[in-house]
Amino acid sequence: MRVIHKHRSFVIAALLSLFVGAWNTAAYAAPDANLRVQVVDQNGAPVRDAVIEVMPASGWTGPIRFSWPMAMAQRNQQFVPHTLIVAKGSTVAFPNLDQVRHSIYSFSKAARFTINLYGREQNRTHTFPIAGTVALGCNIHDQMRGYIRVVETPFAAKTDSNGMVRLTGMPAGSATMTVWHPDLRAPDNVMARKLTLAADDNAQKLTVQLR
Amino acid sequence: MTGSYSKLTSLRFGSLKLRIAVLYAGLFAVVLAAIVIIASNSLSHFGEASAERDLAANARVFDELLELRAQQMDRSADVLAHDFGFREAVATRNGPTIDSALESLKGRSRSDAAFVIGIDGNMLASGDTRIRSARALWSALDAGKTHGMIRLDGKLALAAAAPIEAPDLMGWLVIAQPMDRDELDRLKQLAAIDVSAQVETSEQLPQWLRSGNDGQIIERSDAERNLYQVSAIPALEGNLSPRLVLRHSLSRSLAGYDHLETALALLALGAIALVIGLSWRVARTVTEPLRKLDEATGAIGEGREVEIKVESADEIGRLASSFKRMVSAIEERERRIIHVGLHDGLTNLPNRKLFVEQLDRALTRLTEGERLMVVYVDLDDFKVVNDTLGHPAGDFLLKQVANHLREGLPDSDVARLGGDEFAVLIKDIDAAGSLAATAEKLVECFKRPIEIDGQQIPCSASLGIAIAPIDGSHGTTLMKHADLALYRAKSEGKSTYQFFEPRLDEEARQRRQMELDLRRALHEGGFELHFQPLYSLVEERLQGFEALVRWNHPKRGLISPSEFIPLAEETGLIIPLGEWILREACWQASQWPGGISVAVNVSPKQFASPNLSQTILQALGHSGLEPERLELEITESIFIANVEKTLSTLHGLRDLGVRIALDDFGTGYSSLSYLRSFPFNKVKIDRSFVQDLSSEGNAHAVIRAITTLADALGMETLAEGVEEAGQLEVLKREGCRYIQGFLYSEPVKSSDVMRLIGCDFDSLLVNAG
Repeated sequence: MRVIHKHRSFVIAALLSLFVGAWNTAAYAAPDANLRVQVVDQNGAPVRDAVIEVMPASGWTGPIRFSWPMAMAQRNQQFVPHTLIVAKGSTVAFPNLDQVRHSIYSFSKAARFTINLYGREQNRTHTFPIAGTVALGCNIHDQMRGYIRVVETPFAAKTDSNGMVRLTGMPAGSATMTVWHPDLRAPDNVMARKLTLAADDNAQKLTVQLR
Repeated sequence: MTGSYSKLTSLRFGSLKLRIAVLYAGLFAVVLAAIVIIASNSLSHFGEASAERDLAANARVFDELLELRAQQMDRSADVLAHDFGFREAVATRNGPTIDSALESLKGRSRSDAAFVIGIDGNMLASGDTRIRSARALWSALDAGKTHGMIRLDGKLALAAAAPIEAPDLMGWLVIAQPMDRDELDRLKQLAAIDVSAQVETSEQLPQWLRSGNDGQIIERSDAERNLYQVSAIPALEGNLSPRLVLRHSLSRSLAGYDHLETALALLALGAIALVIGLSWRVARTVTEPLRKLDEATGAIGEGREVEIKVESADEIGRLASSFKRMVSAIEERERRIIHVGLHDGLTNLPNRKLFVEQLDRALTRLTEGERLMVVYVDLDDFKVVNDTLGHPAGDFLLKQVANHLREGLPDSDVARLGGDEFAVLIKDIDAAGSLAATAEKLVECFKRPIEIDGQQIPCSASLGIAIAPIDGSHGTTLMKHADLALYRAKSEGKSTYQFFEPRLDEEARQRRQMELDLRRALHEGGFELHFQPLYSLVEERLQGFEALVRWNHPKRGLISPSEFIPLAEETGLIIPLGEWILREACWQASQWPGGISVAVNVSPKQFASPNLSQTILQALGHSGLEPERLELEITESIFIANVEKTLSTLHGLRDLGVRIALDDFGTGYSSLSYLRSFPFNKVKIDRSFVQDLSSEGNAHAVIRAITTLADALGMETLAEGVEEAGQLEVLKREGCRYIQGFLYSEPVKSSDVMRLIGCDFDSLLVNAG
């Protein structure tokens, strides 16, 4: 059931990304760079839900919009989605879809907050003004774990089940690529790489050490 | 080996009891010793094995305890690590708060140290803990280990770590407890196990312990025997190889078995003592009866009387009773042999040997004034019964007589001396007692008639009596005297008794002397033959001579045949004497002119001799005398014994060609049936009839009857002892054919025979007349 659901959301995400890509292409006539990244772990296995961000060397001042909703739901005592990418300054909703109540907390530097116990009928939101990673936990359900990656670039996406991600519409030239994964063995679970994006398609393969 | 074996085999015991006891107890001791040694070894092995098992089990228990302790610490740490406030404090790096929380945790979890290590390996909060390096712990923590040994203040400590997650892993809360002696003792108490535990790093261990494999049990004897087990325990710190060393005192474990071994040895010793005692007892039970039997055998061997007691019903008892039966049987046989040796088989009366003993015994008991009567008995005419009715009848008669004697003389000792001779010993005859009455009573005993095959047999006996102490004080003397008296009684007639007199002794002595002289005379030719002519009245000529033996005794001169012939008959010397007479007579006669015959007397004993025919043939052969010139004179008494045999002998003699004359006819039985049964050549009329012719009477009628009878039977007649012419006249008138007597000639020496042959017969008669 859950697999089917995931599959469905994947299809939706794929359709959305195509739509966004088309939209980007339409907005900027300049020749854009596309990047295909595959992330594998030390054993060569594809790493899913790794967040890939590309920040052009010139930085980004434009608006940042993502195709997915800014919401971190709780369903079946799990954070859904497990990892959520939001733009800096976004307000994220925390709908409780369970019959039980949850109490969300974060001790992360990027956002230190606590949402006391709330139920299904109650709406709770939090705004994330600082970029970085926010690790979410539930004070009464230790196994619940969710991550919100607050980014400052629109070129960010999660790897699929093949460890693949495709970013499009980036300005060619040098840029910094960052990969984040909660289990990544690095300070703050982040690895960065400088790269030069050629026009059209680029490909990168990242091998990471997972915990 | 061989030496000891030969020593063993040479181990001989004089007593079966000792041998059984020693061998039995020895065997048992060997078996027991083997059992004790084996048991003791097994016990040791068992003890060691179980000590090792104990140690291994204890090691597992100890591992478990360590694990449990670690888990307990883990839980304590976990509680704090999950505390929201604590997590917040850690997330916000709130040092004082963390330290206070750690302090509180130390007290709660009974541990010495508590600290927090961050996910990057830095010490976030150390309290007052001094550890070598947080980095050293990080890799183990990062690898997910939750507990293990670390080095704390230079000592090994058990550490437990709990991850601090908020919700991501921020670091680890670690609490630690040094594994010092106190802590280990506390652990030991929890399990109540008898090991001493020690936690050391591998490098601290002595070489002999370090070399062992993990979990291997090593035995080491220092002051005492110890078992060691070294096992690796997990470390929570890199480059740390902690070891748990368990020591178990083997000596102490085995000490428990020592008591058992001692008890076993004592039990074995007790058992051996018991077995020695029991086997001694058993051996005694077995051998005591044997020893008694042995003693009894020895005693029987020495001829002593032995009482054998049968005390049990087992083999020994059966042996004893068999032995007893055997001894009784031997004694019974001995008694029977002695009885047979001392008794007569036919009558069961004592024999001569026993009689002599009885007599000797009686004589030694003889007191002053007492007398003993020794009686020799000889049955009269027993030989006749034996010969006419057969030996079984004779035996029956003897038995009957024996019974009569036993019945008639219950207080006297009666014995059978052999043949028809009995002996009676009558004791306790006082001085006043009449010996003659006793003798009469004895004679009466024998007079009881006896019936054999429905035939009444008259029975009588002759008795010779000797009285002690008058006739002798020795048994042999008394018996000899009784025998002499019997001899006299016999010669005096039947059914009579004769007391011994010294005269009898003298006669006997003389008779013995004469017997000796007779033998010598036979040997040395002391006899000579005289010849008395037989005159034929019909032919008026000398018909022949009767040979008459004469003994010219060197001291006593000529001895009459009536004196020595009976003695010769008694002693059996008549046989050789008779032979000599026959040979001598035949030889002499062969020197005479033909027609002159010789007559030789044959005694009844000589007649019964089986060699008679042989002797006659030899005499005739040597001399060359014609058989018809030899005339044998026999008496009627030869018919008494066995008529059949006598007749057959007579016919046999007649077949030799010799003439046979019946001597002394008219005396004795004078049965006419004898004359009829055998055709004698001649009948010699006894001299008593001839002498009666001189007096008035019917003597010549008798002569006439005899001559008439003889004529009728074809026999010649000869009258003996003719001394007067008147007698000759009567004899001539009554038809007697031959005469013999002093009227014609007395017996003459052989040298005078030829003179008589040559001399005129009539002149002789005239001279005589």
